[in-house]
Amino acid sequence: MDSAHLTERTMQTMADDIKVQARNVQVFYGDKQAIKDVDVDILDKTVTAFIGPSGCGKSTFLRCINRMNDTIPVARVEGQILLDGEDIYDRRVDPVPLRARVGMVFQKPNPFPKSIYDNVAYGPRIHGLSRNRAELDGIVEQALRGAALWDEVKDRLSEPGTGLSGGQQQRLCIARAVATAPEVLLMDEPCSALDPIATSQVEELIDQLRQDYSVVIVTHSMQQAARVSQKTAFFHLGNLVEYGDTDDIFTRPQDPRTESYISGRIG
Amino acid sequence: MPVLWILLIVFAIAAAGYVLGARRVDALSGGDHRRLHSRTTYYGWNVALFALVPALLLLMLWLFAQPLLIERTVSSYIPDSAIAEGETRGIVLGQVRDVAGTLNRAVSEDVITDVEAANLQPDDAEVMDRLKAAELPILTTPEILGAAKAHRRMVETASTWLGIVVIALALLWAGFALWRTSPDFRARNVVEQVIRGVLIGCSCIAIATTVGIILSLVFETINFFQLYPWQAFFFGTEWTPSFGGGSELGMLPLLWGTLYISFIALLVAVPIGLFAAIYMSEYASRRVRSLAKPVIEILAGIPTIVYGLFALVTVGPLLRDWIAQPMGLGNSGSSVMTAGLVMGIMLIPFVSSLSDDIINAVPQSLRDGSLGLGSTHSETISKVVLPAALPGIVGAILLAASRAIGETMIVVLGAGAMAQISGNPFEAMTTITVKIVGQLTGDNDFASPETLVAFALGLTLFVITLALNVLALYIVRKYREQYE
Amino acid sequence: MTDATGPIARQAGSRSLLTPDARTKKRNAAEARFRAYGVAAIVTAVLALCFLLFTIIRDGHSAFQQTYASIPVTLQAEIVDPEGNRDPAEMAKVYSMSYGRILDDALTQWIEAEGIEIEGLEASDIKGFFSGEAQATLRSQILADPELVGTTVDMTALTSSRVDGMFKARVTEESAARDAKTSPAQIALANAMKDRGALVTRFNTGFLTKPDASDNRAEAAGIGVAILGSLYMMLIVLVLALPIGVAASIYLEEFAPKNRFTDLIEVNISNLAAVPSIVFGILGLAAFINFAGLPRSAPIVGGLVLTLMTLPTIIISTRAALKAVPPSIRDAALGVGASRMQSVFHHVLPLAMPGILTGTIIGLAQALGETAPLLLIGMVAFVSTYPAAPPEGFFDPASALPVQVYNWTQRADPAFFERASGAIIVLLVFLLCMNLLAIWLRRKFERRW
Repeated sequence: MDSAHLTERTMQTMADDIKVQARNVQVFYGDKQAIKDVDVDILDKTVTAFIGPSGCGKSTFLRCINRMNDTIPVARVEGQILLDGEDIYDRRVDPVPLRARVGMVFQKPNPFPKSIYDNVAYGPRIHGLSRNRAELDGIVEQALRGAALWDEVKDRLSEPGTGLSGGQQQRLCIARAVATAPEVLLMDEPCSALDPIATSQVEELIDQLRQDYSVVIVTHSMQQAARVSQKTAFFHLGNLVEYGDTDDIFTRPQDPRTESYISGRIG
Repeated sequence: MPVLWILLIVFAIAAAGYVLGARRVDALSGGDHRRLHSRTTYYGWNVALFALVPALLLLMLWLFAQPLLIERTVSSYIPDSAIAEGETRGIVLGQVRDVAGTLNRAVSEDVITDVEAANLQPDDAEVMDRLKAAELPILTTPEILGAAKAHRRMVETASTWLGIVVIALALLWAGFALWRTSPDFRARNVVEQVIRGVLIGCSCIAIATTVGIILSLVFETINFFQLYPWQAFFFGTEWTPSFGGGSELGMLPLLWGTLYISFIALLVAVPIGLFAAIYMSEYASRRVRSLAKPVIEILAGIPTIVYGLFALVTVGPLLRDWIAQPMGLGNSGSSVMTAGLVMGIMLIPFVSSLSDDIINAVPQSLRDGSLGLGSTHSETISKVVLPAALPGIVGAILLAASRAIGETMIVVLGAGAMAQISGNPFEAMTTITVKIVGQLTGDNDFASPETLVAFALGLTLFVITLALNVLALYIVRKYREQYE
Repeated sequence: MTDATGPIARQAGSRSLLTPDARTKKRNAAEARFRAYGVAAIVTAVLALCFLLFTIIRDGHSAFQQTYASIPVTLQAEIVDPEGNRDPAEMAKVYSMSYGRILDDALTQWIEAEGIEIEGLEASDIKGFFSGEAQATLRSQILADPELVGTTVDMTALTSSRVDGMFKARVTEESAARDAKTSPAQIALANAMKDRGALVTRFNTGFLTKPDASDNRAEAAGIGVAILGSLYMMLIVLVLALPIGVAASIYLEEFAPKNRFTDLIEVNISNLAAVPSIVFGILGLAAFINFAGLPRSAPIVGGLVLTLMTLPTIIISTRAALKAVPPSIRDAALGVGASRMQSVFHHVLPLAMPGILTGTIIGLAQALGETAPLLLIGMVAFVSTYPAAPPEGFFDPASALPVQVYNWTQRADPAFFERASGAIIVLLVFLLCMNLLAIWLRRKFERRW
């Protein structure tokens, strides 16, 4: 399976075009600068991993891509982030429909205290993606299948989502994000609260999601980055130090800081 | 001997004991304090506490038991024949207490001498006239007068003995503690044990209060139900008390008024309080929050009498002149609407601060999850935060309802005194609390069902609010555990 | 892989971020509405508070002003000292009523001297011009200084509540015509006196110091006894509730094992905090008055009832303050060989003290405003004498500020409503001071761990 993946991965990367472009992005929390002048191109139908030591700004940058930083009153973003060529920080942009196109999965599984069905149907309902119950049922099933959860929960859709195991909860959250038909999926350390078995299930899922979405994953685990991503960006102290094909970053890092981090000297 | 003096003497003994205990151990150790088990102050406290605690306990116990014992003895002075038709022994004993009280006042105001009081006979015209002139007339049967004199005599003897016994006890224990004092004595451990006991005792006052409330309500309620059938109280729809007898004391009109007013109050307080809490915890900037929150909390700090006056003087006439009269709904300033509206204002901060806590307890990750899916802020609140907080908010509303049901001054001044069951909110109605105040203010005759009914009403009120509180606290606690 | 695992069909219509679609516009409108509800709720609450305070101040501020007549009064010897020997004991036999005649005569003479002519002015208007209290004041003045008899002095005499009301927009020509106790002629007289400087409006110190007055002397009623009664009760609450509350909290927070007995206490405390206050009144009536035989209307009973009511508040805030002291402090004390009792009393308690005091002041403020239970223990009775100094005074009849307010709302003369609102202003000022003190304490000693 591993060798098959590798070839597939390389082919995919070449075929893809640019989905998100960041230009001179700077983020401030009050007076403190958290992100310094980041430029990066994120490709469609690719998994991009952001790695780096804690506090390096990788999560902050991730949250800029669907403007989740707007919910923090002191946060301020400068520069441009283009989604399909349109600046998401343009004054005319409403973050609400933006977030429907750029979905997000969080560090800790956070299913709503509702049934499994209602969790998944939440997004389609607020965005009006279905005209009737049958269509909604279809979307829910599709999303749960997409998150590789359908077979486990199809008989108990009306049970609360909080009753699932940790790994199932996180896959439920992914299904919930997928159900809004996003183009980009942001994942903020999606496996950090999960045990190894649940982690491998989610990683497998991420690899499948690549066929349809542009996936950006923040992770503190270099092994995970190496396993799931085709592109890797290394952040350090708010700077984007190095960005390139995952294989290159892990085998031939250009920057000494990247090398120290990968070899375990910093971080 | 007045209790105050006994207290002062006991404290003086304790203070002296402290000094003596500390000195004694100092002397015994020969000034070398390293030989002592504890520091000298502990030896002082040891003696002081031994003097204080048993003496004060006895004093409290005595003061509690004395009325009971005297009552029982005095009761034997009254033959069954002296109890009039339709009266009970308890009523006659109440009269005995009243007469004894009158005699005490007459003596303390120098109308009669102590000796005259002790030997007073019903046919002693000269003394009786003097009492009448001082507006302290004694109009009673010879049996009751005799019992009252015995009552006074016993109270006097008892208080003398109380002083002697309590002071002797204090001295005795202080002496014992002093005798026990030696450098090897573990004074600190003993003192700490005693203090621990005192702390436990103080904690038990909460239990004692509850027991006291239940006892005082239950006993008089039993008395009431001996005079008035309970079915007629709980299911009667007429409330027409008259002290001349023949009263109808049905609780339902009062319960209706109580629930109606509380309902309107909640109708005002819950939406306003809830939306205020939502705005302050979800939308408001730090500055707006730090300004609006204290301002709303001022509403909670205003005494209910102020709201009552507001209802009586301002809101009542306003509603009457602008709404009730033009629409032909009534001519009364006091009304269910007046009381409900003002009570609603009073409850706003109560609902809002409870909901605020509860909304803040909803984890941020749920909000992030919802926002991350592209829902607006209000969708997040109404579809995720509020459903998640619902049990807690229900608990808060139940607590507010219990407040509303037990509220007194606003309804006394704003709701009126008409006991009726009507649907028109602009008519005056009355509540359980209003009638408790009505039946228990002024001179009470604790023998008539018209007075005693207040205790039955009080018990009903207590049970209703207790049930609501227990339920609400249970729900809120369960809710909090869910997110902890 | 089946078909169902593909991506979900995306929304039709505009995909540009820059032009919001109809659905987004609708949702944003709902968002704005929702926000507006929140603002409306807060504005409603704030407006209600402002309106409440405004009406209280509007109705009550005039209680701090009082109208006095200032005219020369001849103290006719034949009335006040019929025996003519200037002996205060003899003169004391003359009732206040006779002094009323002196005042009436003085006013009649003054009207003549000033040459005022008022149509329809009758003797009863002159008689009703002064407060009943003015006679009594004059009498005690003369009894204190018999040398004044026979002389003419410039008197400042309290006018009746109707005359006072004319200058507070409470009494108008219309209402005076309908009122048996006053008349349009009296209004004309008062205005004439005002023009000539014979009526003065001064700060009403009597309102703050005097006891309550009877039904037809609203102008003389004050809150002196009520303030004293409230003060006594607060003293009792402070002395009892603070130590007991702190002791109970220390036990529950620091020593109590987790068992059923502790649970029982906890449940009791949280329930007592929510028991309606009137139930505490019933407890006070049944336990302290009927059973223990304490006197009615006495601050001691009120103080005990309020203590029981305040205890849960104090216990809850004290426990919060104790909980806020970090365990490291306890560990440090235990580590140097202190006993648990010593670590609590020497280290934890002093650190928690500001929090405890803040909670106590808040509890006292609640107790100060409490009315319902006091009605049941007879504090509503008419009390016109000051209670003695404590401790005997604790057993004397007294009133309390909020009860006095209630008492005045039950009277007929509208002047009592003005005074009720005035008393509320005083009550609110006390509460404000207590709360400011609590806030100051919290700010000054606030510690962040």
